[in-house]
Amino acid sequence: MAERTPGWVYAVYLALALAGAGLPLALAWEGFVGWLAQARSMTSLAVTLQVLASGILQGGLYAVIAMGLTMIFGVMRIINVAHGEFLMVGAYMAFVFFMMLLPEELHSLFTSNLGMAILGVGVFLLICLPLMFLFGMGVQRLLLNPVVGGPELTPLLITFGLSLILINTFISVFSSDFRAIPYMSGALVVGNLALGYPQVISVAVSAAVTGGVFGFLKFSRLGKAVRATAQNADVAMVCGVNVERIYLYTFGFGTALAATGGVLISIQLAFSPEIGGIYILRSFAIIILGGRGNYLGALAGGILLGVIEGFISFFVSQGSQLQELAAYTLLVFMLLVRPQGLLGGIADE
Amino acid sequence: MRAEGAVAGEFILDIQAMTKRFGGVTAVNNCSIRVPRNIVAGLIGPNGSGKTTLFNLLTGLLRSDGGDYFYKGEPMVGLTPHEIFNRGISRTFQIIRVFREMTALENLVAVSRDGDLGGVRRRALELLDFVTLLRLKDEYAGNLSYGQQKLLEFVRALMSDPEVLLLDEPAAGVNRTLLNTLLDRIRQLRGQGKSILIVEHDMKVVMNHCEKIFVLDYGELIAEGLPEEIQRNEQVIEAYFGHK
Repeated sequence: MAERTPGWVYAVYLALALAGAGLPLALAWEGFVGWLAQARSMTSLAVTLQVLASGILQGGLYAVIAMGLTMIFGVMRIINVAHGEFLMVGAYMAFVFFMMLLPEELHSLFTSNLGMAILGVGVFLLICLPLMFLFGMGVQRLLLNPVVGGPELTPLLITFGLSLILINTFISVFSSDFRAIPYMSGALVVGNLALGYPQVISVAVSAAVTGGVFGFLKFSRLGKAVRATAQNADVAMVCGVNVERIYLYTFGFGTALAATGGVLISIQLAFSPEIGGIYILRSFAIIILGGRGNYLGALAGGILLGVIEGFISFFVSQGSQLQELAAYTLLVFMLLVRPQGLLGGIADE
Repeated sequence: MRAEGAVAGEFILDIQAMTKRFGGVTAVNNCSIRVPRNIVAGLIGPNGSGKTTLFNLLTGLLRSDGGDYFYKGEPMVGLTPHEIFNRGISRTFQIIRVFREMTALENLVAVSRDGDLGGVRRRALELLDFVTLLRLKDEYAGNLSYGQQKLLEFVRALMSDPEVLLLDEPAAGVNRTLLNTLLDRIRQLRGQGKSILIVEHDMKVVMNHCEKIFVLDYGELIAEGLPEEIQRNEQVIEAYFGHK
């Protein structure tokens, strides 16, 4: 029998819980005070709407990334620590395509013409996603398949090692400098809102991909087999589902989703081989927020985090640094208060 | 290698000296069972006698530590679960395992393999109708009653039109009406030429509906025969009730 837990352990739990709840409260308070100050000097509703819209645009991108992570976790029970690096690889693939393979005379097309800018991203996704899908299947087949069903720590460590390999390979090839793709700047003006073109394109692609994932899981037979495997792999097996193949596809899909995020980041932000860490942390926070293995939860959590970050960075002084804190704080807070996530996660077996 | 002396068609399942150990426990011990074609057969034995383990071996969920098994004369040891399913052996579980977060219809469509989606859907609807679940086709499986989930699992096993059906305690926890539906459907499948092997604790069900009974104890086959023979068998009585 387990020994009785000493009282001081509970005291530590309580202290942690208070810290976890206190941080967001403190942030919220500072946010409120800052907002009050801002609100006096600006037309507050318009600004709030602007920040909200930007947050939703950002959140759509987060959702796509987190969805890949939650899919792999839900189906294979693998925590893919290399997910952020898959995203980084996607961003660099876009970089290589735009900067090295495309003749320089054509660069201006992506900075001046909206139609061409959209077409460019579309074409690039069509090239990049199948390649990353294959890459993901290769990783699953060669590295993860031999350890599926074993101790949970093994695949975690394998993907951790893979992430280090990818980071250092990319540093040695591209250096650790930040890179950026010269892309369409300017903004779409709707009423009082100004929405940056890259962000609008990004959210449109995110929405299309998210819709595609939902449709695939809901209506296609392969999607049903994926969901069946996620719910009970043993039963799926004796019902004729080739679970090994489902794992292969799932890892491919998850990797392609991460790479989609990478491509969308590459057209709006600078990136280096080490950016993966930031995004995987956000993805973890999102899937804990929404519920592990829950796709709708990933969507809701992603948008929520985007909006929260937007408000923090706009209304709080020193906001852009504090913004990073939002994901950490949410992660700890949710685990303490509602570990199953807002929308509920898959059952632990 | 083909099963020795197997007259093609006589035995649908030919299990030869299969063994499965878990650490120091031998769950299935040198077990040989021959299931004739087109039969409703019972597999009984006290708790822990290895019935479910044997089902797990037959469906490839567990790897055996020895022995062979043949289906229609073909060796099956070493095949993966979905390959075994595709050859025509299907099962249900003792503790129901429907896909709770999918609708009844999706539960069936998810497991099918061949054919166009339209055809698969038609078959799924027919099967739901077969067990009186058609009006619940769009209900999430997790919301169905226990007995309805059992029926759903039963027809899920039928999606591939299997020749052998392994049912693990189909009667447990099911009310009389649903049980009668289930038993009636089992008779119909028997009439279509299928072979059904049932693990069951409800002796009334076993004795009234099985044509042949196999008895396991400590993973070994201790008796086989007609229901009335089994009821009189000293060894079986001893296995269930201990020494007199």
